[in-house]
Amino acid sequence: MAIEVGEGVDSDEGIDSGEDVEPSPFDVDARRGVRGAGGVVAFLALWWLVASTQPTYVLPTPPVVAETFVAEAASGAMLAALGSSIVHWVPGATVGTGLGIAAGVALGWSPYLDDATAPVVRVLRPVPPLALIGFAIAWLGINHAGAAFIIAVGAFWINFYAAYGGVEGVSDDLLDVARSLGVRGDLELIRSVVVPASLPEITTGIRTGIGRCWMLVVASEIFGVPGIGREILRASNNLRVDVVITYILVLSFMFLVVDTAFRALQRRALAWR
Amino acid sequence: MTDSDRDGVRPRVRVEDVGRRYDSPQGVVRALEGVDFDVDAGEFVCLVGPSGSGKTTLFRIIAGLEESTTGTVYLAGDPVEGPGPDLGLVFQEYHLFPWRTVSGNVGFGLEQQGVDRDRRERRVRDLLELVGLDGFAESYPRDLSGGMKQRVALARALAVDPDLLLMDEPFGAVDAQTKRMLQSELLDIWSETGKTILFVTHDVEEAVTLADRVIVMATDPGRVREVVEIGTDRPRSRSDASFGEYYERIMELIRA
Repeated sequence: MAIEVGEGVDSDEGIDSGEDVEPSPFDVDARRGVRGAGGVVAFLALWWLVASTQPTYVLPTPPVVAETFVAEAASGAMLAALGSSIVHWVPGATVGTGLGIAAGVALGWSPYLDDATAPVVRVLRPVPPLALIGFAIAWLGINHAGAAFIIAVGAFWINFYAAYGGVEGVSDDLLDVARSLGVRGDLELIRSVVVPASLPEITTGIRTGIGRCWMLVVASEIFGVPGIGREILRASNNLRVDVVITYILVLSFMFLVVDTAFRALQRRALAWR
Repeated sequence: MTDSDRDGVRPRVRVEDVGRRYDSPQGVVRALEGVDFDVDAGEFVCLVGPSGSGKTTLFRIIAGLEESTTGTVYLAGDPVEGPGPDLGLVFQEYHLFPWRTVSGNVGFGLEQQGVDRDRRERRVRDLLELVGLDGFAESYPRDLSGGMKQRVALARALAVDPDLLLMDEPFGAVDAQTKRMLQSELLDIWSETGKTILFVTHDVEEAVTLADRVIVMATDPGRVREVVEIGTDRPRSRSDASFGEYYERIMELIRA
């Protein structure tokens, strides 16, 4: 596609007629799109090539996976699994993110809380969410709540450290200015300065956490709660690699959708940067 | 403001025997010792001195950001016990809230005071006009030049109508031309608002241009060497004979 120089440029840099005009965002997007498509084609070709030398239970070819994908979608199994995963993904991610940010802000802000909790935090931090499955079952049962718990733990730590780091990085000078303009008390300072100033770190934490939560969907369903992860685990036991890939694609797709939506939100919230 | 305040019956700022000592591996550092002066209501006072004379420490103590080891600072009769809206701060590095627009920055203090939206917006508009930034209300700080940022910081400090405007080398980070412009704007704003200003600078020319009185600091320990009253009418020209005399005299006091 030929694009006229200067057309569709929505920057306010002014008109700079000349040979070395910066490529418009559209040009850049188009170029990246072409390269990306090339990469996808190359990847599929390589996959196909390798898969054609292997039996289907080791590595199915792309058309086989496509066929399985369509069949799973048509039977309603995919939608049911996805719906079930969403039922624990959403509360798990929400609660974990919320508590993580709250704890990160509180401990990043208060040296007293930080000192008091540091030993406990250091012991709990390296525990993988999957190791807590016993608690999930004992406290909440083999149900959505149990699965949500596993997901929440994963989201918690990522958001905790992101918010903690963000709060630690807030400049004392901004806090001084805020106090000199009449801000009184910790809660008011946190609301009016600390949280907005650390929003870049906090939102990056949320985004990373969202990705981690989709990964944890598999772990959270390991003890029998239905969902995408359960389908992947069951298919693995039956050596149905085509089904495994099908549901991996569903996971990736969900991640992509949520991540893109959140990135748009983040860009709006951080328009000041 | 009552007439008696305006007449300066009691000083707007009273710095009483302020001292500040630090412990350091090399022993006790006497950053400030026996600093004692007044600033009258509506007065423009500059604080100059070589580096190490405790200017910034004194700024922070008056602002209530740091505690003095001895002595007390009184603002309108009351001891300063921490930063608050009776004291407007302007820093060299602006310290604007980057996530807030220009009008959001200027309106920040008014929001804290619970001023309703209508009145707030009107006041912000007036202030932006005062500092010559009408038209930039919705810009973010990242899009502003240094001089513009400092105008925003000044408007933000003025918004809460402080008893004292305390400025720490506010024009130290802008180019010479912008600096002159900001100085004359500050003088206009000062005469328009009648604010009391205490202005820290290391630039003697700036001090002679702006101040009613120049407090010259000395080092080791940080203390007041002399207070020089600038008698010349404003606007002052750097080419005036008296300007040069004041300049030389202060430079000598600093070098001594």
